[in-house]
Amino acid sequence: MQVLRLEKKRLLHFLDVVKKGFEIIAPVKSDLVRFSKIYHAEEIYLEKQSYFPVKEYFFRKEETLFQFRGTSITVPAYAAKKRMFFGLRRCDLNAIKNQDIVFIGDMGDPYYKAARENSYLLGYHCNTAPSPYCFCGSLDLVDFFDLMFFDKEDHFLVEVGSERGKSLAEKYREFFTDSQRLITQNEKRIPGVHRLENKDISGFYDHQDWKKGADICLSCGACTTLCPTCYCFEIHDEVKTADPCKGERRREWSSCQLQEFTRVAGDHIFRKEREDRFKHRIYHQLQYFKEKYGVQMCVGCGRCIEGCPTRIDFVRILNEMKNGKTENNG
Amino acid sequence: MSKNKKLKVGVYGITGCAGCQLSIIFNEEEILDLLSLIDLKAFPFIKELNTDEEFDYVILEGLVANKLDLEILRKLRKNSKMLISLGACACTGCVPAYRHFTLKENYEHLLYKRQEELQDIEPSPHDEHVKVDYYIPGCPPDKKEILRFIKGSVRGVLPRPHQNPVCIECRRNGNACLLDEGKPCLGPITTGGCNAVCINGGLECWGCRGPTKDMNLELMIKILRDRGFDDRFIQDRMRTFAGLKLPMLERVMQGSKSKVLQTRFDGEKKFYE
Repeated sequence: MQVLRLEKKRLLHFLDVVKKGFEIIAPVKSDLVRFSKIYHAEEIYLEKQSYFPVKEYFFRKEETLFQFRGTSITVPAYAAKKRMFFGLRRCDLNAIKNQDIVFIGDMGDPYYKAARENSYLLGYHCNTAPSPYCFCGSLDLVDFFDLMFFDKEDHFLVEVGSERGKSLAEKYREFFTDSQRLITQNEKRIPGVHRLENKDISGFYDHQDWKKGADICLSCGACTTLCPTCYCFEIHDEVKTADPCKGERRREWSSCQLQEFTRVAGDHIFRKEREDRFKHRIYHQLQYFKEKYGVQMCVGCGRCIEGCPTRIDFVRILNEMKNGKTENNG
Repeated sequence: MSKNKKLKVGVYGITGCAGCQLSIIFNEEEILDLLSLIDLKAFPFIKELNTDEEFDYVILEGLVANKLDLEILRKLRKNSKMLISLGACACTGCVPAYRHFTLKENYEHLLYKRQEELQDIEPSPHDEHVKVDYYIPGCPPDKKEILRFIKGSVRGVLPRPHQNPVCIECRRNGNACLLDEGKPCLGPITTGGCNAVCINGGLECWGCRGPTKDMNLELMIKILRDRGFDDRFIQDRMRTFAGLKLPMLERVMQGSKSKVLQTRFDGEKKFYE
């Protein structure tokens, strides 16, 4: 793939120029690091991984699916802003790829699709693990980006990853020079992110160690909200007071960690136990998704561990299952 | 919809601050539409002419704190097909029910001993006396939730009561976890539906909407202990709004003392990061 070079001191200028044509979404540090709209390029914070994932820009927290009036339905226009995302990590990019499989490949979700089609994905390569909870190296992540920025002290090497990336680089050609070399596979490796030793968990379903995680689980749903790939939702209607036959149908984020999530007709809850719900999340991430789509859903960003009030480290639990260590560590 | 087909509704209050009834009125933009949906037979708080009769449902604020309250509650229950408990007092007993956990002798001389006509009974939520058909909890309740209930009743589909913890809405709103900041937040064991309004404003959850059915109480106590709060504080905090709905609290607190339960998997001692 084509590689370009951008001097570091020109990055802010580059982004300021890009800002005229796009809305730039990049990590910003307030109380926590989160992806937000950038007004000045200096706001961008690249030292640590963002606490909140970027998924809310595609799979929105709340989405109006359609308006209804009696039995007639009006579907809203799938409008989405032209956006450029900057500072996406390898895990964030792969998470977008995995959600694409579900929302575009599988369901053809027009709301998600519209947001994705208007987005340019600019990555930022981690030279070191940006969080102690990272384990992306243990998973089979691939190159998925429009442009990827490799931080090389005084300059960036920018790898072009798609046709859209190429046209974007053409448009702002004045900022780039041709690089003398390509990016090696070794450069793409991130050191210290290979914690997960146990990826095939098919034989561990009845293992006693699941209890270790479930015992200190509050079922608060922080893990699934902060996960960049989790895509469960619920749907409900909101009607107008002036005329309860009119209203809109809404979709909003939900979580498999909730009892309510599996409440079905007849008031039956089929994952009543906390342990079952905890286990289900890990199995969906590492096994069920792979069985269905051929790739693991988890991208190893570690946000579910970092954001958990009790820091349930499922990676450690899985490793201990494999290595036969069952004692409680402290 | 002809007028006589509309649902007959009454809104009443017994011992309480009237804030919950105010929450209904706070739906200013929609209140006129709301009144055209139902036949509001009685709402003494804002209406001059009220008719006590057969209701389709009664929305009742406040808790039972004296004999008159109990009479009103029983009468309304008898006259109404459904009884809706509105607000924390009605649903959990709220702050007035905290009296169960204090010594009466310490304060009754201040007022009750001086005024003969004040004859109280043990403060208690509605469901300790009569059957309750629907709960709209919160101190104060979410005005949109009341609206949603009334609209649902007109369509014949009552909204599903909230069961999820506050954390679900809190994280969705992009808040930092207050437990990580060392604050005694009860969000993980408290029923949501409030859009995490307190935490959005930086205040920890005090549990006004009552405990979730699925709470991990033992772990919650342990987390608070590990963050340096003593048992007295934890007990008081949990009992402020929903003490009567946590009858197991003392037992769980005793039981969890002997049990080793790590509240930080990574074993970090530091809670402020």
